[in-house]
Amino acid sequence: MDCGTCETTPTIELNVPDEVDVNLTMTDKATNMLSEAFGDDRSHALLVGVLSGGCSGYMYDLQIVESTETPCQELNINGYRVLVPRASSHLLDGIEIDYVDRLMGGGFKITNPNASASCGCGESFA
Amino acid sequence: MFQHDAYILLLEGESILDFIDGLSTNLVSGQCSTIFTRANAKIIDVCEVLPVGSNVAIIGYEPYKNDLISHLKPRILERNITIRDIGSINDVFVGPIPEELPSGSTRLNSFMGPMAIIPKHHEKQASWDQSHWDEYRIMNMIPYHGAEITPQVHPYACGLDKLVHPNKGCYIGQEILTRMRSRGRQGKTLVRRSNPAPNATTTGAKESLCIERTQ
Repeated sequence: MDCGTCETTPTIELNVPDEVDVNLTMTDKATNMLSEAFGDDRSHALLVGVLSGGCSGYMYDLQIVESTETPCQELNINGYRVLVPRASSHLLDGIEIDYVDRLMGGGFKITNPNASASCGCGESFA
Repeated sequence: MFQHDAYILLLEGESILDFIDGLSTNLVSGQCSTIFTRANAKIIDVCEVLPVGSNVAIIGYEPYKNDLISHLKPRILERNITIRDIGSINDVFVGPIPEELPSGSTRLNSFMGPMAIIPKHHEKQASWDQSHWDEYRIMNMIPYHGAEITPQVHPYACGLDKLVHPNKGCYIGQEILTRMRSRGRQGKTLVRRSNPAPNATTTGAKESLCIERTQ
């Protein structure tokens, strides 16, 4: 196979969605959980990202990080650093992060006004 | 061998196999066949995945190329992925492949059986026409794009059960396919019928392939 990785083979243009300034809210329960996780340490941040995949095409990706090489918008939400990858900003503008305390299906939950559908477990959206 | 109306997309970047794995029905960790499906489990395209050095080639059916690209592009997000269309510099053949292939050719096993990718400058000609290929497919129950494999069917309906991994986690269309399998309600399936076969998807001299409701 001719792999065509020379300069003469054109690449397919990928239209990157415009970056938007993300508005993000966090409920008191979610803030309390972050407080338990971070304590007084403010050197870490909550990274709220989106991965491709899942039942509906996109999956939320929450991580606690000190830093990231991914270009991000940095927000201060209720005193905590929150990082949102620029490339996913159009998918995450307007979300609310909540925390649901129950034995099954508990954990951080995201309500996303941009999602037209989501899967049963709540981790994936379209 | 028959010349497959194929596109070849070369994806360059990090974690390409993971990217494809997250969006298709089969477990993708190396060379394999897999299916990209919509949320309703209908097929976008059935593709061969072929690692090429640090890149990955996706070989699919040319008329379905734009739908697949439209499906992939918005999901690249922050991944640093470049897509090249290298179909114009290679020919793809399926069916019995000769032992001897021109230099620079790649041989692989596809869901249609043996496949060869031959650089176009060799000007290799197909030895089979459409009717020869169709007879071969009917005999071996091989579904083909545009006949059995269309955007109106799900993988089980066109005999591609083996490309839907039973234990794989979430991907687009997985909920419906898993429900169909777990409840034993696959609906339509690919069958071979003697002629005359009403509603044949591929008609041969004596037998035909059909997609029929069997449950």
